[in-house]
Amino acid sequence: MIEIKFKGRGGQGVVVASEILGRAFFLEGKYPQCFSLFGGERRGAPVVSFLRLDEEPILLKCQIKNPDQVVLFDLSLTDEMEITRELRDGGTILINTNKKIDSFKGWREFKMGLIDARPIAREAGLGEMFNTAMLGAYARLTNLIKLETLTEAIRRMAPSRVELNIEAAEEAYQKTKIYEVKGSDSR
Amino acid sequence: MRDLREGLPESRGGDEIKSVWFVLLCCRAEVITGLSEEIAMKEFMTGNHAVAHAVVLCRTPLIAAYPITPQTAIYEKLSEWEASGILKGIMMRTESEHSAMASCIAASLTGVRTFTATSSQGLALMHEMLHFAAGCRTPVVMANVNRLLAAPWGFWADQLDSLSQRDTGWIQFYCENGQEALDSVIQAYKIAEQVYLPAMVSLEAFFVSHFMEPVDVPEQEEVDRFLPAIHLPHKFDIEKPGFLVPVVSSELYRKYRHMAQTSMDSVKEVALRADLEFKEIFGRGYGIVETVMMDDAEVVIVTAGSITSTARVAVKILREKGYRVGLLKIRLFRPFPAEALQKALGGKRKIAVIDRNNSMGSGGIFCQELRAALVHSPDRPVTFSYIAGIGGTDVTPEVIQKIVFDAMGRDEPEEKPIWVMEE
Repeated sequence: MIEIKFKGRGGQGVVVASEILGRAFFLEGKYPQCFSLFGGERRGAPVVSFLRLDEEPILLKCQIKNPDQVVLFDLSLTDEMEITRELRDGGTILINTNKKIDSFKGWREFKMGLIDARPIAREAGLGEMFNTAMLGAYARLTNLIKLETLTEAIRRMAPSRVELNIEAAEEAYQKTKIYEVKGSDSR
Repeated sequence: MRDLREGLPESRGGDEIKSVWFVLLCCRAEVITGLSEEIAMKEFMTGNHAVAHAVVLCRTPLIAAYPITPQTAIYEKLSEWEASGILKGIMMRTESEHSAMASCIAASLTGVRTFTATSSQGLALMHEMLHFAAGCRTPVVMANVNRLLAAPWGFWADQLDSLSQRDTGWIQFYCENGQEALDSVIQAYKIAEQVYLPAMVSLEAFFVSHFMEPVDVPEQEEVDRFLPAIHLPHKFDIEKPGFLVPVVSSELYRKYRHMAQTSMDSVKEVALRADLEFKEIFGRGYGIVETVMMDDAEVVIVTAGSITSTARVAVKILREKGYRVGLLKIRLFRPFPAEALQKALGGKRKIAVIDRNNSMGSGGIFCQELRAALVHSPDRPVTFSYIAGIGGTDVTPEVIQKIVFDAMGRDEPEEKPIWVMEE
C-alpha cells in the first residue's frame, strides 16, 4: 500500500487533484481510496487530502498519519520538522516552489521533486489553477502512473479547460527536477 | 405532479457545494464519455454518489429534500441527474427538512416510492415528521449522513444524529462503506415495502460520504429483478384528496402501536431474507450482524459503521501478534438484533463496544442497547464501553488496538464509558 498526503490551501484545487490522481490509479486497475478534510470552504484555509492505493481493496477508514509521499501545494503552510517527522523512511516529497534544491537541505534524506507549477499553469492559460501541473510533476517524480493514464483521468474529471489542463500536466512532467536521496542528483 | 415544484425555492447551495462541484462536473463528463468496458461496472466514487446511484436504480419517482446546509452531495448528484434526464422522477425542493419529510409521507400515501436525504440538524428538524412517517406506515426511505449535532458547529462524523431518532419507529441501517450504502438503500426499499415502515440508511460523514472508492454499480435489470414495482395495499387517489391521521381513542391508538410493533418485529426476518436474495443476485451480502474471527476470541470488538472497516485491519494485526480477538458488526440497529447478538456473544469473556456517539448522562448508545440485550444471558460477557471517534476524530487501527489492550487489562466490570482521547 502507498499512502499519499496532499497539503495546500482552499482554492488551489488540492481536493480535485487528489481525486483525479485517484481516478488515474483506478483506471490502471489499482484499488485507490481518496478523501479530504475540510470544514466550511474558505479560500486560503489549509486543506489536506489523502490518497491510498493498493493492489487489493483497502479497509482503512481513517486519516494518513505517516505518508509515503507528500505533495506540497503551498510551502508557506509547511513545517519542515513536521514533514520529516511524519514522512516514512524512503519517502518522497513533491514541492510546488520556485526555489532551488539548496533551500531544502533538511529534507535530503528523502527523494524530492521540485516544480514551479504556477508559471506553467499561467502559460497554459489556466491562470492560478496549477493543480494539474502538480499531477504531471507527480507522474514524473514517482513513475507510479503513466502520463497517458493521468491525462485520461484529467480528461474525465477536469471541470473545464480540459486540453489546457492536459497541456499543463505534460509541460510540468517535462520540467520536474528530481533529486535522489543524499543530494545525488539524477539529472 | 410537476406543478408541485412551482413556487418552491430553486436555490441550490450548501457547505459542500464548491467541493462537490468538480465531482459533479466530472460525473457529467463520465455520462457523456462512458467508462471503458473492462471497468464498466465499477466506478470510483464517493459514498454520497453511491447512494444517488441506488436511488436512480430503484426508479424512485419522488425525491423531496431541503437543498441547503446540511444537505450533502447525495442531493446535488440527484439534482444534476434530474437536469440531465437520467433521473426520471421529480425532485421537490422544500423549504425545510420537516416539509421534505411531510412531502415524502404524502407522496408515499399515494402509493409511490419516495426518498429523501439529510444530515445532522436537518434530521433533527425532521423529528416530528419521522414519527408521522412510521405511524402512517409509509415505506419512505432516507439516507442520513451521520454528522455531529451543533453546538458547537461542525461537519464531522458522529452517529448521534440518527441514534437520537431511535424511538421514531424507523428501521435503521449503519454502513461501513459506499458499496454497502448503495446496496443498503436498495435493500431498504425491499424491506420497508413489505412491512410498511420507513427505513433510514446511515453513512458517516467523510469516512463514507466523502470517501472515494471503487464501487460496483449494479445493472438496472438486476435491481429490477430484486426490487419489483411498489404495490401498497391502500393508497390515496390524488384526484380525490383525502385525509389520514384522525384523532383516535386510547384503545385504538394502543392497537395501532401494537400492530406497528408486530410489523417491526418481523423486520429482522424480512431483512435477512432480502439480504440472502440480494446475495444471490449481486454476489454480496451483509446480514443484520456480521461476525469476524469469533471462534476462540477472548475479546470481541463491537462496532457499527465505518470504524468496523478499520477494526477489520486491527483484528488482523492483533491476530498476527497472537491475540485472540474477534469483531462483531451491528448493521441493523432498529429493530435491534438482540437474538443474533445473544447467539454470537454468549459465552465470550469480554466485549469492547466502540461508539462514535455519546448519550450525555448515559454513554455510548450501541453499548447501552447491547448490554440490555445480553442482560438475561446466563453466560453473558463483561461489556466495556469505549467512546471513540466523536466529532469525526480519527479512529486508527492503533487506537482500536489500544482499546483491546485496555479491555484485556481490566478485571473488574466498568459501568461508566471510557473516553478515548487519542490525538
